Amino acid sequence: MSTIRIRSPASYWLAVPAAAWMLGVVVVPIVLLVWVSFWGGRAFSTASPLTFDNYARFFANQTYLKLALSTIVHTATLMAVTGVLGYCIAYFLVMKVRSPGWRLALFLAFVVPFWTSTLIRAIAWVPFLGVNGVINQTLMFVGATQSPIEAFLYSRTGITMAQVSLYTMLAAGPVVYMLNAIAPQLREAAMTLKATPFTVFRRIVFPLTLPGVVIGQVLVFLNVMSDFATVATIGGNKHALLSNLVLLFYEGSQIRAASVVAVLLMICMLVGVVIALRVVDIRRLGAER
Amino acid sequence: MIGWKGRLSLTGWILGAITLVFLAYQWLPIFTLGLLSFSGPTGGTTFPMNGTSLHWYEELWRATVMNDFKPPLVRSSLLALACSATTIVLSVMAAQAMRGQFRGNGWFFYLMLLGIMAPGILVGFGFAIMMRLMGVELSWDTTTFLVQVSWTLPFGFLTMLAVFNRFDKKVEEAALTLGASRLTAFRRITLPLVLPGVIGAGLFGFSLSYDEYARSMFTTGPDATLPLAVMAQLDRQLTPEIYAVGTTTTFFSLIAVLFFTLAFWAMRRSTSLRRSSSA
Amino acid sequence: MDALAHDPVEGAAAPAHARPQLDLELINIRKRYGDFTAVDGVSLKVSKGQFVCLLGPSGCGKTTTLRCIAGLEEPDGGDVLIGGKEATRDPPWQRDIAMMFQDFALFPHMTVAKQVGFGLEMLKKPRAEIAQRVQHILKSFEIDGLADRKPASLSGGQRQRVALARAMITEPRILLLDEPIGALDYSLRETVMLELKLLQQRTGISFIWVTHDQNEAFSLGDLVVVMNHARIEQQGPPEEILQRPATAFVAGFVQGNNVFRGRVKEVLAGMLRIETPVGMFLVPWVAPPPMLGSEVSFSVRAEQLTDALSERHVNRLSAVCTAVEYFGAVRRHVFERSDGEVLKYDQFGAHAARIVPGQRTVLGWPAEAAVLHAGAGQ
Repeated sequence: MSTIRIRSPASYWLAVPAAAWMLGVVVVPIVLLVWVSFWGGRAFSTASPLTFDNYARFFANQTYLKLALSTIVHTATLMAVTGVLGYCIAYFLVMKVRSPGWRLALFLAFVVPFWTSTLIRAIAWVPFLGVNGVINQTLMFVGATQSPIEAFLYSRTGITMAQVSLYTMLAAGPVVYMLNAIAPQLREAAMTLKATPFTVFRRIVFPLTLPGVVIGQVLVFLNVMSDFATVATIGGNKHALLSNLVLLFYEGSQIRAASVVAVLLMICMLVGVVIALRVVDIRRLGAER
Repeated sequence: MIGWKGRLSLTGWILGAITLVFLAYQWLPIFTLGLLSFSGPTGGTTFPMNGTSLHWYEELWRATVMNDFKPPLVRSSLLALACSATTIVLSVMAAQAMRGQFRGNGWFFYLMLLGIMAPGILVGFGFAIMMRLMGVELSWDTTTFLVQVSWTLPFGFLTMLAVFNRFDKKVEEAALTLGASRLTAFRRITLPLVLPGVIGAGLFGFSLSYDEYARSMFTTGPDATLPLAVMAQLDRQLTPEIYAVGTTTTFFSLIAVLFFTLAFWAMRRSTSLRRSSSA
Repeated sequence: MDALAHDPVEGAAAPAHARPQLDLELINIRKRYGDFTAVDGVSLKVSKGQFVCLLGPSGCGKTTTLRCIAGLEEPDGGDVLIGGKEATRDPPWQRDIAMMFQDFALFPHMTVAKQVGFGLEMLKKPRAEIAQRVQHILKSFEIDGLADRKPASLSGGQRQRVALARAMITEPRILLLDEPIGALDYSLRETVMLELKLLQQRTGISFIWVTHDQNEAFSLGDLVVVMNHARIEQQGPPEEILQRPATAFVAGFVQGNNVFRGRVKEVLAGMLRIETPVGMFLVPWVAPPPMLGSEVSFSVRAEQLTDALSERHVNRLSAVCTAVEYFGAVRRHVFERSDGEVLKYDQFGAHAARIVPGQRTVLGWPAEAAVLHAGAGQ
């Protein structure tokens, strides 16, 4: 018995506003996007005939295909870097920091920037990356290079550097959660069964945190795939990913082309999430412990 | 003689070094942004600062039409408050509904997850098209509000679910056996006990809405919110004035987080005291 | 090296000729956590194939001692010898031990077969041998039907068997068990205890069993070690600890003892006359006798008391019965002494009840039934 009766009409009606909101603002618009991406003709009209022309035009263009490929490569790079870095940090915070005070302090230092604007944090990288930026000034000061390196601002390297600082927390968070859930006795039991610390990690700790790793990777994947703001801030007009293309077409009033890219982006993400779900059954996460 | 635990701590030192380097990497740009916002009137967008001054903050304060950040700030704050309040009400209702295990609650859960998974650029773009088809005028206080709640609500909902999962049902049962109606028991017993979670949901609502860019971009119309105004200014020209804006909003974000964290902590303390004294 | 020189505890169980056969020897183990002393000078000898129970209240240091043996904790001082070899600084994975944890610590992501074979896998045994030995041990523990199941789908009793099989499969020299049946249903415990005792006798592996339950300790242990406040209070066979508690703590901790504290009034031949708040009593002493006037304590077992007095029962005491509890084998009478403490008197259960609650009765016991404790008694 509780303040709500199981399967009562009240429980159903309480869910209706939230469900209606999500359906109307998320599901319907996304379905609309798919529809619009098949519109033929030129007018913005629901009476437009349906064709595959918009997709054909996209796939006929080498530039767009290269862009799609480089988006995937860029995202994969970020997933790898933030995955390894995030795991190291999570492992350190949970397993190696003994004092609760220090653990809290380090954890807050790690998490607090996440609560501030991603846009502002991306902009904060601008003074670092320019030709006269902090990094080049430092490199020249220590004598590592004679002339400034132009490889940072308006470059893929610069974008990657900024995004690593923005998204490592997403990769680490779920791992922290999973590591916290591992009882110390499990590692001790493995040790008394003659497993060395490395084997304990490989056979016990890592498999148990795998769901956290996968969820973290999904979060990084989704965010990097759709992060056009950081790319625009640091890459300028020189670099674009698929999501920037949506914006570009939208601003050029090419709604159909924008919809095509949006749908392709969506398909990429769906494939990514489905692959992740094959590796780990997220629904069973809570059940096992 | 070093024991095996001592040998293991070598890994700890290496991981610790990685962590500290990353923390520096993460914080350095933020501090640099703050530092450069105080550079002199002739200071550029990077070092040297050419002296220290409040010049760029004065510019910000005196700014006129084009780069006046005050109205966007007011809009963003109002919007964030509205999203926060809506998120609290809807997510408490939705989480309570989940406890009722209504038919189709599994689908409902995935619908909410979709709100987190679906990227802002897709939702914003799709919603803008929908509004255009329906002939609705875009505005920060109508369309942007609708879209942003679809982003903040799932976070609040998951927070409330987690809180209700750890909630001890027996307290409610006790109230009901004492003759309270379900509504009274919920209002007098359940709600005060889950208040920390409600505050957390509100914090999510405020912070996510205040910083949201992608969803606002497609749905805001002529009157920009703060992130849009910042981005527009960045496109026009990069001056330390942007740093001043960034420093100010980051500062306020941190204050807000601190405030909510303290409130959360105080609530939890008082409820746990209440719980232990009633046990 | 003469280990006895380090050994402050009298009456260790292992006879001298068994020393080369020792499975485990602890010499003056000490362990502190900050200001808290968890283990303070614990020494212990376990000869080959012995069943040792570490018994004590929670926080007495028994689990820390066990973890020092396993290598999960490093003692601040003292030595751990396993099979006669110095192992104090060896990590757990290099020690010839296995351990069973209180909540079994089964790996949630491994099937029963994988889990049980884990220890052999770590020893780099060939795959075929592992499969065959796993099959064999699962069969002998009657859990071969569960080979492909994961721990989450097992019952408490099944988990306990899996944990035991996992620990036993490598045939370690010593098996460490930390409250191994504490997580089981009460009804299961008796059977499991018997099974474990038989298993231990069959395999000849030394068991070191940590528990706070004295029934477990006394019914299983060849050697029972009673600990309190990080120290060993007494070690010996169960009969010795039950019949001749060495300290007031042991006497009070072990069920069925009546503890008295007082002052030595007179030292006679083989006897002390002790003055307590509830009267004067005669208690036999063993050398050396305590000083006249010193604070001492002694205990008398509840079944040594009687209300059918004869001249043998020189020690007598009048008290009011407050409750009678009938257990079948015994009928326990609870009395209130004039100093407010409780006095227990056990009568053979088959005898007819003679005393009812509220009745004042004189109880007595022969002088030689009392046991004098070492030290002043805390």
